Amino acid sequence: MAYKDFRDFLDTLRKEGQLLTIEDEVMPEPDLGSAGRAINNVSDKSPALLFTNIHGYQNASVAMNVIGSWPNHALMMGLPKNTPVKEQFFEFARRWDNFPVPVKRMDSAPFQEVEINQDVNLFDILPLFRLNQYDGGFYIDKACVISRDPSDPDNFNKQNVGIYRIQVKGRDTLGIQPVPQHDIAVHLRMAEERGENLPVALAIGCEPVITTMAAAPIGYDQSEYEMAGAIQGEPYKVFTLPGTNLDVPWGAEFILEGEILAGVREFEGPFGEFTGHYSGGRSMPVIRIKRVYHRKNPIFEHLYIGMPWTETDYMVGVNTCVPMYQQLKDAFPNEIVAVNAMYTHGLVAIISTKKRYGGFAKAVGMRAMTTPHGLGYCKLVIVVDETVDPFNLPQVMWALSTKMHPAHDVIILPDMSVLPLDPGSNPAGISHKMILDATTPVAPETRGHYTQPLDAPLATEKWEKIFQDLLSNQ
Amino acid sequence: MTTCPRCDSTKAEAVAKSPVQGAWTVYTCPVCFYTWRSTEADKFTEPSKYEPSFKVNQADIPNAIQVPTVPSRTNH
Repeated sequence: MAYKDFRDFLDTLRKEGQLLTIEDEVMPEPDLGSAGRAINNVSDKSPALLFTNIHGYQNASVAMNVIGSWPNHALMMGLPKNTPVKEQFFEFARRWDNFPVPVKRMDSAPFQEVEINQDVNLFDILPLFRLNQYDGGFYIDKACVISRDPSDPDNFNKQNVGIYRIQVKGRDTLGIQPVPQHDIAVHLRMAEERGENLPVALAIGCEPVITTMAAAPIGYDQSEYEMAGAIQGEPYKVFTLPGTNLDVPWGAEFILEGEILAGVREFEGPFGEFTGHYSGGRSMPVIRIKRVYHRKNPIFEHLYIGMPWTETDYMVGVNTCVPMYQQLKDAFPNEIVAVNAMYTHGLVAIISTKKRYGGFAKAVGMRAMTTPHGLGYCKLVIVVDETVDPFNLPQVMWALSTKMHPAHDVIILPDMSVLPLDPGSNPAGISHKMILDATTPVAPETRGHYTQPLDAPLATEKWEKIFQDLLSNQ
Repeated sequence: MTTCPRCDSTKAEAVAKSPVQGAWTVYTCPVCFYTWRSTEADKFTEPSKYEPSFKVNQADIPNAIQVPTVPSRTNH
């Protein structure tokens, strides 16, 4: 099953008790950003938020925390809302293997109801607001940004859909952060080498599957739309913006059409980031918006970002674990069991694996650091036995407590690459990395006293199932 | 023209007024691109009360690190 559009998903959240509508008047600042922070402080099963009465606006609606909990993430995939995280991971991985699913092309889109093509003023069109106290301005941080490869513009697979931090800097200008490792930075580099602007479209308020895929580290020539089709189990609906070659999500609430200006860099930031620290101010590319489309009574979707856990961590949790899992499986198909790379977008990762021989787990840890995502993350990799659930942190702590020997199982690799936003990196982008081998030693590594592990009572699994059924019916 | 609370430029200007008349005004600074709303707490709107460690020195702006750097033009 697939959600038709953003509103369809909000309806499902409402029916499932996972949408909280706030009709009392709120201030744009500090209420909206504060609420986005607070909802994840009070619960890990938190609902999405829909604000319908914002001081100074008429008929503005702001949605936040839309996939900001495991129940909402499960519903994104069409699963029961109480599906355990580990099961969501394996189901996501199973569907991933159905890639690619060709898109469904539509002749018109709901966002064509309203078109603004002159005197664009984003501050009038969008109910913008400041998230964190010292953000340099008002941001758009959950838009799907679509661009084409300028050297191969007809290649659908090289069209990119990604999420980047975007500062609204003027009536029709935006700042964007294309980190060099991101696909859009590849497109921009090609365009700038030619001295050409890069056409882009921003889609705001999309159903959650394309947002999830836009935030996933998939291959350069893999289509996010065709992956979204695999995850949702049916072709993804796209609409080609008139006068462009950009395919955008059909159900979007808002579309902003414009260009990244070749060779232009302007001061941007700081912005409160997913590392729990501000980014500092840097000089970044600029987008000029020339046309805006939106539905009538559009809903503006925003995302709170800051010290984990926030909606960001749910959004980039499973969709980061699965590609790393697939890449490790390519190397070690019979050993890798599961990957949990959900901590600060995978700066800490936990891998569950079988062992072929002594030292094997350490090699798995090093391989994780050389996956595409691991090159910028995986500052700490914890490797655990196949019997340890990497999504169950008490189990992981037990493995560290009992299996790891500091003299043998702590590997430090000096001066490795890491994302520059890591506030501990020095210089920015360089950090030592560490592997903690918390697996049981195997031959020829025969140290320790591990021959009598404790098994659970015989009918434990049966009772787990009974309790899961009973609890899900409550 | 208004003074920017963050970089003290005097070139900031109003870019939007609230749809409900008189509720608020949004300003942006064309020098450091700080944006604020008139209804925010004074520590975000008044130059003398803005947190010193987040103030921006106008002289530093041209030296900000480029992300990503602008590549050289090549012939395609």
